[in-house]
Amino acid sequence: MGYVFQFGTVWREFDHLLLGAWLTLRLSALAMVFGLAVGIAGAQAKASSSRLMRGAVQVYVEAIRNTPFLVQLLFIYLGLPSLGLRLTPDEAALLAMVVNLGAYATEIVRAGIEAVPKGQIEAGRSLGLKPWQIFRFIVLMPALRTVFPALGSQFILVMLASSVVSVISAEELTAITDTIVARNFRSFEFYFVITGIYLAMSLAFQTLFAGIDRALFARWADRA
Amino acid sequence: MRYGIGRLLGLAIALLLGIAAANPAHRATAQTVDDIIKKGKVVIGVNTTTPIFGLMGKDGQPEGYDPDVARLVGKYIGVPVEFVSVTGANRIPYLLSGQIDMVIALFGITPERALQVSFSIPYAVEAATLVGPASRQVKTIDDLKGLRVGVPRGAMQDLILTPIAQEKGINLMRFDDEATDLQALISGQTDLAGTGLLVNRTLNRNDPGKDYQVKLVLRELHFGIGVRRGATDLLQWLNTFIYTIKNDGELDAISRKWRELPLENLPVF
Repeated sequence: MGYVFQFGTVWREFDHLLLGAWLTLRLSALAMVFGLAVGIAGAQAKASSSRLMRGAVQVYVEAIRNTPFLVQLLFIYLGLPSLGLRLTPDEAALLAMVVNLGAYATEIVRAGIEAVPKGQIEAGRSLGLKPWQIFRFIVLMPALRTVFPALGSQFILVMLASSVVSVISAEELTAITDTIVARNFRSFEFYFVITGIYLAMSLAFQTLFAGIDRALFARWADRA
Repeated sequence: MRYGIGRLLGLAIALLLGIAAANPAHRATAQTVDDIIKKGKVVIGVNTTTPIFGLMGKDGQPEGYDPDVARLVGKYIGVPVEFVSVTGANRIPYLLSGQIDMVIALFGITPERALQVSFSIPYAVEAATLVGPASRQVKTIDDLKGLRVGVPRGAMQDLILTPIAQEKGINLMRFDDEATDLQALISGQTDLAGTGLLVNRTLNRNDPGKDYQVKLVLRELHFGIGVRRGATDLLQWLNTFIYTIKNDGELDAISRKWRELPLENLPVF
């Protein structure tokens, strides 16, 4: 083929790649925390008695789940300024990821909440627990325990989706690699190595989630 | 795991064989003009996201300075032209992997790029500039302090400004292509955009009122046709071709049509 592989170029730039990996991890971690918060709020709103509230959340969820993430991202960064809201690339990237994850998390958490047996809630009421106590201990924790694997997968998907935020000039692993490759043209070597880095980050998150699972939910030992 | 490692491996091998079979072995680095004539078409990579030099026309065919030069290449070799849209980031990989025969896509001649490809003599002159609205006062690079400057990734403006961005206090923002870079300027997300000499005309047509001007000329550069290193026969033909169309006025006509300027005196090497 006549192409000479030069992996030495990758090791020379490795500190830049590590910076990129850190930026991706930070962006993803923030998106996961806020996205989960949005998801829990959305799931609660879905259970509300107000038809307007339920409808609004439904519109949000359907709009986000049926459109590409890249389009949502470009809309937030390039489109919103026309309405007066101007965000920096990093702010726009985080907002897009939170909005995106929030929609999927809403559906996932809602499914978990609906799976809580009604008898448990009635038992809580008859014990005199306040509504917020019922929600936190009887509804939310078991719900999260049930859907934790699904949530974890969605979190990892959002982390992988962060690789497109380079299109609005937000810096993370893929963006930094694109810039390096634009200078030395070693596409094969660099993209091969960052594929490995994304894989490592994904496995790291999975290990973290498994640890959180054991730490938080070990009490509910009846889970298969 | 239900499917087992054997089936997964088999699928992977089948996929690789399929990809290999779909790509005929036109990877000869010592490509000659005869190879192209024998192939029956010339595959040319052009940029389709930059005003004046390469945009996608309404009929779905690329139009602009570079596509017109590409069509002349096809005319004089005597084969039809197959266009492939390339970007600043992927034009060299596409060329080196054999997916295109040559690059005619605002390809600025630099020694770093010449380590990977061979350039023809210049067929166009441009400049790496920073463009902004008239209200933005910028005369020198020091005036860029604190400003948000958008550039296409890997373009000349990126290569010139990145090494000095930190010490000069420039907030450099790298976009994947020039179109997004200009869009960021129009929507106010950046103060200046890295682009060429004449793009402000297109900007003023699409976003009137701001009077976009070239604020800073970073470097004058020339575009050459890029071919794989070692394709000396093809390179010789292209140099002859460019000399001819400079001489007989065809290149001047293209320059007047797209840049609304007569062709300048281009250096040769």
